[in-house]
Amino acid sequence: MGVDDRRKFLAYCLGGIAAVAAAGIIYPLFRYLSPLSSQLESSKVTIPEGAVREGEANFFQYAGSAAVLVHHPGGALVALSAVCTHMGCIVQWQKDRQEFFCPCHGGRYTSDGAVISGPPPRPLPKLPFAVANGIITVG
Amino acid sequence: MSIMRRIFRWLDVRIGAGEIIEKELTGYLLPPNINIWYSMGSILLFLFALQVVTGMLLLVYYVPDADKAFTSVTAIMNRVPFGWLIRLCHVIGSNMMVLILFFHMLSVLFMGSYKKPRELNWLSGFILFLLVMSLTLTGYLLPWSQLSFWATTVTTNSVGVIPFVGQYLVEFLRGGVLVGPPTLGRFFALHVAVLPAAVALMVGVHLFLLKRVGISAPPFGCAETKNTWQGESYRYEAHPGGIPFFPDYLLQDLTSIAVCMACFFALLFFDPSIFFPKDAFIPADQFRTPEHIKPEWYFLANYQTLKLFPSEIIGLAVQGVAILFLALLPFIDRGAERHPLKRPLFLLLSIGGIMVWIGLSIWGHYS
Repeated sequence: MGVDDRRKFLAYCLGGIAAVAAAGIIYPLFRYLSPLSSQLESSKVTIPEGAVREGEANFFQYAGSAAVLVHHPGGALVALSAVCTHMGCIVQWQKDRQEFFCPCHGGRYTSDGAVISGPPPRPLPKLPFAVANGIITVG
Repeated sequence: MSIMRRIFRWLDVRIGAGEIIEKELTGYLLPPNINIWYSMGSILLFLFALQVVTGMLLLVYYVPDADKAFTSVTAIMNRVPFGWLIRLCHVIGSNMMVLILFFHMLSVLFMGSYKKPRELNWLSGFILFLLVMSLTLTGYLLPWSQLSFWATTVTTNSVGVIPFVGQYLVEFLRGGVLVGPPTLGRFFALHVAVLPAAVALMVGVHLFLLKRVGISAPPFGCAETKNTWQGESYRYEAHPGGIPFFPDYLLQDLTSIAVCMACFFALLFFDPSIFFPKDAFIPADQFRTPEHIKPEWYFLANYQTLKLFPSEIIGLAVQGVAILFLALLPFIDRGAERHPLKRPLFLLLSIGGIMVWIGLSIWGHYS
């Protein structure tokens, strides 16, 4: 093995050690700065049935994001994601018009989450829920 | 032409990179008899950078609020992935920094490198030492544990013995009569903003002085061990025929850093709770004073000195005089000789001083 070959071999060895050391620093750093798993898990949220009156909407935190429960006149309930499908702003409930409005770019949705007008490309995603013994369980 | 050479050439024709490398690295010659003790400064720079990076990472999850600080630190240790690693690196890094700082100062003392024309190098280094001690003191409160709370209570209280202004100073430091949420706010601001900025500034001054005056040659392995500078005019101490900083001494610096980090990780993985007594795991309670509260190992001598003297003000004054004596040493010790064995009085006083410091620390630990 010549001098150049030995130099190359040593350089590869050092490069390998440096790569392992870098991985040993980068992996813990990446895990440290990643969102905590508990913040992303979709745990169930319970709301008393009486807390949402007819014609009103109740906003709450769900799976680390914003959600809304709408009580339609007549008694029907619907649970939706409150995150606008356009740019991720939180939609606002307009009680007098019984629809959602996104103040960021003027997107409008029906109380069921369907797009009425404006830039949103998709309806608001529906969330699963169940009602039992006067308790609404979302998730 | 390889890609690296092309990048270098691109830089060289624009900013004269080759000239900088020649002047600051390959052409920056160090004394031929330079030894391992000269790498302490590089280790300290590395540790300071480590403290800054781990400190910034801790800020992601730490909440500087008296109601939430302890919980946030507990979450960092137990819930955040690798949070324990980041925090332990910060804690062990701070202790290691103090230890290496001691070694750095001792090597400068024994090799007489503080003597003229390097009085300002010593003074700026001494200010850095005081700033690092202040950093450890302010950082100690942030976890808001029983240990943090009561150690800060005792430390801030000792300022109260200063005549006339003592009590006002205590309240000024604490932001109130007792240690409480305002103290946490102050110490947090000092620890993460004011003191690190001051350290960075002083490191800049220290390195500027080092570059302007030139590195001192060790007084070992040479016939002439006396200081030759007479003070008639500015002189850069060059070392023609010496060893280049790059790659020769940089390799020594990297070796020293690697050895230091080996000790660092040995502590981190095999004795992670070495710097955590049981009171560090209990949230601060201002109505329950724990028994036997002790400061960190580097403050144990000060703690024991305060207990030795019947009057607290005498204990504090003795320490103040000792610190002032050390800070002004280059102006007091004006002899030209630098070899420690040719300075018997210095050798006697310094070894005696170190023994007293170690003795007081051990006494303080077991008292």
